[in-house]
Amino acid sequence: MRWQYKFLIPSLVILLSIVAFPTFFLFYISLHQWVLFKRGMPFTGIENFYLILTSSDFLQSLKVSLIYTLSSTVLTFVLGLGLALILNEELKGRNVIRTIIALPLVIPPVVAGFAWKFVLNREVGIIGAYLLPKIGFMKSLLADPSLALGSVIVADIWSKTSLMFLILLAGLQAVSPDLYEAARIDGASSPQIFSYITLPLIKPAIIIALIIRFIDAFNVFDTIFVMTSGGPGTATQTFPLLGWKIGFLYFNLGQAAALAIVMLFMTIGVSILLIRRIM
Amino acid sequence: MRKKYVRVGVILLGLLFLVSLMVPGALAKTKIRVLCFAQGFAWPELFGTSGVEETERLKQFEEKEGIDVQIEWGDETAVRQKVAADLAAGTGRYDLVLVGSDGGVQTYGYGGFLEPLDDYFKRYPSEYFDPEDVYPQFLDANRVEGVLYALPYYSFGAGIIYRKDIFDKYGLTPPRTTDELYQVLEALKSGLEGEGITDVYPLTMRGAPGEEPSLDLTGFVYAWAGYPAWFEGGAITPKEIKEKKAMPIFTGDFAPGFQAFVEMCQKFGPPGISTHTWVDMMNIYAMGKAVILMPSAINGYAALGITENENVKKYTRFAKIPTGPGGKQIQSFWTFSLGINKDSRYKKEAWKVLTFLMGKESMQAFAERTQWPNVTMKSVLYSDVLIKKYGIEEIKLNEESILEADPFYFPYIPELNEYMDRIGTAASEAIAKTKTIKDVLSGLQTWAMETMLRGGYYK
Repeated sequence: MRWQYKFLIPSLVILLSIVAFPTFFLFYISLHQWVLFKRGMPFTGIENFYLILTSSDFLQSLKVSLIYTLSSTVLTFVLGLGLALILNEELKGRNVIRTIIALPLVIPPVVAGFAWKFVLNREVGIIGAYLLPKIGFMKSLLADPSLALGSVIVADIWSKTSLMFLILLAGLQAVSPDLYEAARIDGASSPQIFSYITLPLIKPAIIIALIIRFIDAFNVFDTIFVMTSGGPGTATQTFPLLGWKIGFLYFNLGQAAALAIVMLFMTIGVSILLIRRIM
Repeated sequence: MRKKYVRVGVILLGLLFLVSLMVPGALAKTKIRVLCFAQGFAWPELFGTSGVEETERLKQFEEKEGIDVQIEWGDETAVRQKVAADLAAGTGRYDLVLVGSDGGVQTYGYGGFLEPLDDYFKRYPSEYFDPEDVYPQFLDANRVEGVLYALPYYSFGAGIIYRKDIFDKYGLTPPRTTDELYQVLEALKSGLEGEGITDVYPLTMRGAPGEEPSLDLTGFVYAWAGYPAWFEGGAITPKEIKEKKAMPIFTGDFAPGFQAFVEMCQKFGPPGISTHTWVDMMNIYAMGKAVILMPSAINGYAALGITENENVKKYTRFAKIPTGPGGKQIQSFWTFSLGINKDSRYKKEAWKVLTFLMGKESMQAFAERTQWPNVTMKSVLYSDVLIKKYGIEEIKLNEESILEADPFYFPYIPELNEYMDRIGTAASEAIAKTKTIKDVLSGLQTWAMETMLRGGYYK
């Protein structure tokens, strides 16, 4: 071994112990029946995967996760891009507005979740109990199965649009103003400038933003947990909530590990797809 | 000569080194680590209101017993996860762990993760904890197949917390049967609606997805069926289920009580009830937005502690829970319990800490601080502070509720946690009308059959 490589050993040891070993162990337990109240840990092959993938819980959570992740990713992207485009212009008070828009990002998701829960609460919330009934809307946003998912998506959008905004704004600021100036001299309209200059040049930022947001939305737990606990019933039960239930309520660590692996492959698959499609 | 001095010096240094290693070890107190939730609420007389102080009383105990008590707190969900992870890993890091009587005791008891405690009473009698003073129901709730695995701290049985002023206004008295309960709720509903009051509800209960509503709703099942109607013949232990080959009966005798719970929530509860936890039911009652809180009456006492509504403070009363068509009372029973980790290296010391934390002195301090009658010991329930607060009649009613409670109103099986979660989630779905009662019960039945078959119950 060349002597320079020896310097890598400490980092490799740390990485192996905190990343490689847990990942390997996750695969290992997914192939075993590890239920806390049962003695032993017999090898069961792919049974955990079979049981998870064929359960009605999985299908329900798949549906909820897809709606949640896609809506949240697309809407935060559209809003984030819109805000970034506006606040990339020379406006009065631009820095103040930028700071305000970035604020939700520093609020922990649990706190944001509680705040939204109280605001939307049908019995005591300012929106749920006072504003909406005043205009004749009497339903409970968090307890109605057709509205609950939309409500948690709104909370997520409020919380995470700022992340998209910041990434996309950074992308926009990297575009040279000379290009816009040249385009305008050549008589290009605003939509043309956006389509042929802005969009292609901020593509890398868009890809990064979409991948980060997709992974973040797909793995969201805290906001939904505090707002609805996955309810009413299972109306807002995404994969992370299902995994948490299987692992820490049902004590079935083998099946929880199998679900985690399925989620891991889904995330990798979608990320690869995004990169290949957009690049 | 010089060599000799050097040798003696080396030997002396060696001895000094050994002594320096041994003395602190001999003088050091045994560390007993406790893992639980309710920081600042549980034992503030020992750990202060922040939960991280060391009060004089705690220091006295530690000095006397040669034990250093280290408590670790967390949010309830996080603590439950941590307990599961630690017990599964078998590290023995925590000597005392929180285990509720709604799944933890059963799972860890059957799994062999907790130390059986019955022998400890004989081998190490405690000056802090007198089991004879504890209502047997609270100890029984922590037994799995007759073996005691944990000791209870604050605990509760079922009851009705209601607003006497509103009852009086409509000429109502506390219901003694579930038929009367329906009549009272109907009268409250029409009375409130008749006055144009739309933000006060006749009833608040909990219907959130998860295990929470199950504690109350399975109490309805018990009252309507007259027995814990989960498996044929009311089998409640794995042994009974296996011997009788008792099949799940979620579409059978389980159904009427489930249906009653769901329909009461839908008809008389607040609009958001399908997501309400104990916190929501407490807040709604505390704000004066509900007339009746049931069956987990402890949440009503908690509401009294936080309310700023003068009428709630002045007119709140306790009544015994009604009896259902099956001839049994509605149930709701839970204990905040601690058990000794089987992998603990200091079980005897852990036992001392356990009996101290769950003992008379702690219970009395709890009663004096909270003024809740949700205590485990007769001597504390009948203490001056509680009698002065509620009057002897209400204390007697509370005692009757405890004595008439059946902690085994749901089965004690290792899979209890999953059952509780699925039943509660099914109730939430039905209350929210995502699915019909028939559909959710049919789903539960199918799932339960598959689970029991896979669990080898019907071989």
